[in-house]
Amino acid sequence: MALQKDNLWYKDAVIYQLHVRTFCDSNADGIGDFAGLTQRLDYLRELGITAIWLLPFYPSPLRDDGYDISDYTAVHPSYGSLEDFKTFLTAAHTRGIRIIIDMVLNHTSDQHPWFQEARSSRENPKRHWYVWSDTDTGYQGVRIIFLDTETSNWAWDNISKSYYWHRFFSHQPDLNFDNPGVLEALWEVMEFWLNLGVDGLRLDAVPYLVEREGTSCENLPETHAIIHDLRKRLDLLYPGRMLLAEANQSPADVRAYFGNGDEFHAAFHFPLMPRMFMAVKLEDRKPIMEVLEQTPEIPDTCQWCIFLRNHDELTLEMVTDIERSYMYDEYAMDKTMRINRGIRRRLAPMMGNDRRQIELLNGLLMSMPGTPIVYYGDEIGMGDNIYLGDRNGVRTPMQWNGGTNAGFSMADPERLYSPVISNAVYGYQAINVDSQRRSEHSLLRWMKSLIQVRNASQVFSRGSIHFLNPSNHRALAYMRQFGEETVLVVNNLSSSAQAVELDVQRYRGYIPIEMFGRNLFPRFGERPYLLTLGPYQFYWFRLRRI
Amino acid sequence: MAEDTFLADDLLRQLMSVGEVDLLVGISSHGNAIAVSQAVHAIEQSFQQEFIRQRVVIVHVDGGDNDGDGAAAAGLSALAEKDVRLPGRASLRTVHRVKADFSSPPSPGIALHTILAAADLLRARACAVISTATSNLTPGGIANLLRPVYQGKFDFVAPLYTRHKYQGLLARNLLYPMSRAVFGCGIRELYSDEWGFSGRLAALCLNQNVWHEEAIRARPEAWMAISAISSEFRCCQAFLGQKSQSTKGSGTDIVEALRQTVGNLFWCLECRQSWWLDCDKSEPVPTIGPDHELTSEPSDLNRHRIFEMFRSGVTELEPILSSILDPETHAEIKSIASLEEQTFRFRSDLWVRTLYDFAASYHHAVINRDHLVQALAPLYRGMTYSFLVAHSDSSPDEMEAESEMLCVEFERQKPYLRERWKANVEVKS
Repeated sequence: MALQKDNLWYKDAVIYQLHVRTFCDSNADGIGDFAGLTQRLDYLRELGITAIWLLPFYPSPLRDDGYDISDYTAVHPSYGSLEDFKTFLTAAHTRGIRIIIDMVLNHTSDQHPWFQEARSSRENPKRHWYVWSDTDTGYQGVRIIFLDTETSNWAWDNISKSYYWHRFFSHQPDLNFDNPGVLEALWEVMEFWLNLGVDGLRLDAVPYLVEREGTSCENLPETHAIIHDLRKRLDLLYPGRMLLAEANQSPADVRAYFGNGDEFHAAFHFPLMPRMFMAVKLEDRKPIMEVLEQTPEIPDTCQWCIFLRNHDELTLEMVTDIERSYMYDEYAMDKTMRINRGIRRRLAPMMGNDRRQIELLNGLLMSMPGTPIVYYGDEIGMGDNIYLGDRNGVRTPMQWNGGTNAGFSMADPERLYSPVISNAVYGYQAINVDSQRRSEHSLLRWMKSLIQVRNASQVFSRGSIHFLNPSNHRALAYMRQFGEETVLVVNNLSSSAQAVELDVQRYRGYIPIEMFGRNLFPRFGERPYLLTLGPYQFYWFRLRRI
Repeated sequence: MAEDTFLADDLLRQLMSVGEVDLLVGISSHGNAIAVSQAVHAIEQSFQQEFIRQRVVIVHVDGGDNDGDGAAAAGLSALAEKDVRLPGRASLRTVHRVKADFSSPPSPGIALHTILAAADLLRARACAVISTATSNLTPGGIANLLRPVYQGKFDFVAPLYTRHKYQGLLARNLLYPMSRAVFGCGIRELYSDEWGFSGRLAALCLNQNVWHEEAIRARPEAWMAISAISSEFRCCQAFLGQKSQSTKGSGTDIVEALRQTVGNLFWCLECRQSWWLDCDKSEPVPTIGPDHELTSEPSDLNRHRIFEMFRSGVTELEPILSSILDPETHAEIKSIASLEEQTFRFRSDLWVRTLYDFAASYHHAVINRDHLVQALAPLYRGMTYSFLVAHSDSSPDEMEAESEMLCVEFERQKPYLRERWKANVEVKS
């Protein structure tokens, strides 16, 4: 199955997020690699995903899971070679799977040669590729992102006897985009990968590219100008490729990153994610409705990317203090589960391994406006290990079978980059791909069917949304419409059975057909349409008029 | 509507949509959209400030638009669609609003019956009833009614207010001390416009076969409090601040006030006689906030007129009073009624005996009960006159000490009430 030519492919995609290191180890060194990942592509094709987002795989000291890059145009030797990557890319494309790679523009590792040169002397030509100061008083009031580890956005460099600016860890100096050489160098990096054939670039930490005194140093017009410039070059030289923004900001601020359809093609909708969890725990649609009401319209060629969990903590930066406190109390009572301003847990443990809640949340993910992203392992309900430090607890080896090292690697267990999950509930003996492939009612099988139903139509990926607002606030109901196709989605957010009356007067005469079993339901009439839903149950109905 | 139920289908449909709740606040109104609007805002602010995580509902029992405020009421409905948003604080959940419409103004009893039914069906943990007549009820005041119940410590929360020292004299000199002596539980504001209660008390009261009784239809709140006391539920009082009546609904005359409260209290004595006749306890009620707060601005009460009404009433109602009061009590009343205004004083022991005679006669129905309660009016005026004279210069603390002495007198004479209550009485036609 070759890639379909469609410049808006990212709108219809179902993206699978993974780190090469975590997925499959082909050479028994305890670390996943591109050769191993290539071997597992058929699994991903069977799952139904259409794109893979790879976390950073570049050479790096790995002090921030690869987001501290020391060489932009190579593959970390632990993961294989550039040739391995090319082989993987071709194999993925052959299976109709597109590849999105992570690209960190905002900062490098302090081990990157650029920084090594910059700190070597104040006269070095690379000196002003980074942001230096003789004091640590500049840009006062700018928030610190990693509150658990950093006390300032300035760090002292003992070699050049001056301070350098960093928004993330102090070993990740920010690049200076006021220096035109930086942008050109990074565009060359992007071209390198685009020339190899990657389909999309996920640009990390976008809001922080430019600093200005007296501002928050976030979302500045100069930052948008840089993105606009990169997009122009991309459209000219690489049509059909995609830029995805990581901007953990309010929807209104992120909206600016779409520009007039001339900045990013897609951006993460960060505030929606915690509110989906909150709505289920509160058994009330209010949090979801509120955040979607605050979400502005975006240009037709643009798309939100939505997700439940990812490689980072479940970020609670975009919620109020009250909401954060509630999320902590409900989902992270054990303080070990908390990091920075978020929760370092996987989907299944967060939901208490309740299959109904896991299905409901995935149902929301696949039916809300946007391109869904599935985090590796969540399709089988993998657990986490909150005692591994940082966010490594949600980055443990993929669980393929109940054999040695969960089928991830043939290395000695002691050599694995991370211990596999081995507890009684989420351990690889209980939760693994092979066993779920063989079980007709497994979560994996169910996920495949969910993705299959979603992929069968563009109504979920491109359709409009219209909320029905039934008086029962435990129900979240909406119509998705694209062209002639209309789908009704009704979700019961509560742990108990609910009766819901839907105002479908506008669709009088339509016959609802349940999309998973393809069963007919009673025709919509004059009166409100009464549905009863079991705990956490949801329906997707295709509406037909015959 | 289904048969044999007072719950309208529309209300039931709304309740279905709400589901189980933690907190329920009920308000009853007949039109008067401005007062309703104020009450709804106060409740919503209370939820936003104090109960951010809880599942909450406002149940509004409305008896239609009889004051020409239809347009304002429509405006309220539109307003109520949106939550009140306070900077930095907002309910995480939907603030549900349910409206029960009656074609004519519902009596307080019917309104409470509806609210209790809603509370029971929604399995509310803590509830409060709020009056649209109280114009200055604060979000904190509403929270004070709900919190003691929600925290699981109490089943009934009576309000306490800041009052002028001459305000609430009926409660101070009669309702509070008498109910405290009889039922053994010192709730100061037995008759109030707002109170809190638990879901289990709501269920208990809902299932009592009393809702057809006129006394319950008119003033159900004391019965609910007494039900809590006599069922050994946990009661407390919560301070709500200044009591300010809105223009509408205030200003009832003393005869009507006596019918609504004293008549109701006598009916409650009748209802719960099997319990209080064997009850000898008198327990203090835990209080959240100040126990009492009095102000003493100058007052323009016409004491002379009050005294004259007492004296003429005793004369005019002599035949009725003779059928109600014990002869000795009646003789003493007539004796003090003959005193000059300057030397007149209504002793507390006589006042207590008088009331106990009235209560017993009410029980024995010696005359028409409504007439009986009305006959108390001149005597109450005499007591009021005596109180005003005695306390024209008293400080709040002195008044409080006097009030406590009156309570003790009621308790001391409780055996007299029991004796008269149980006596065989020949009913005069």
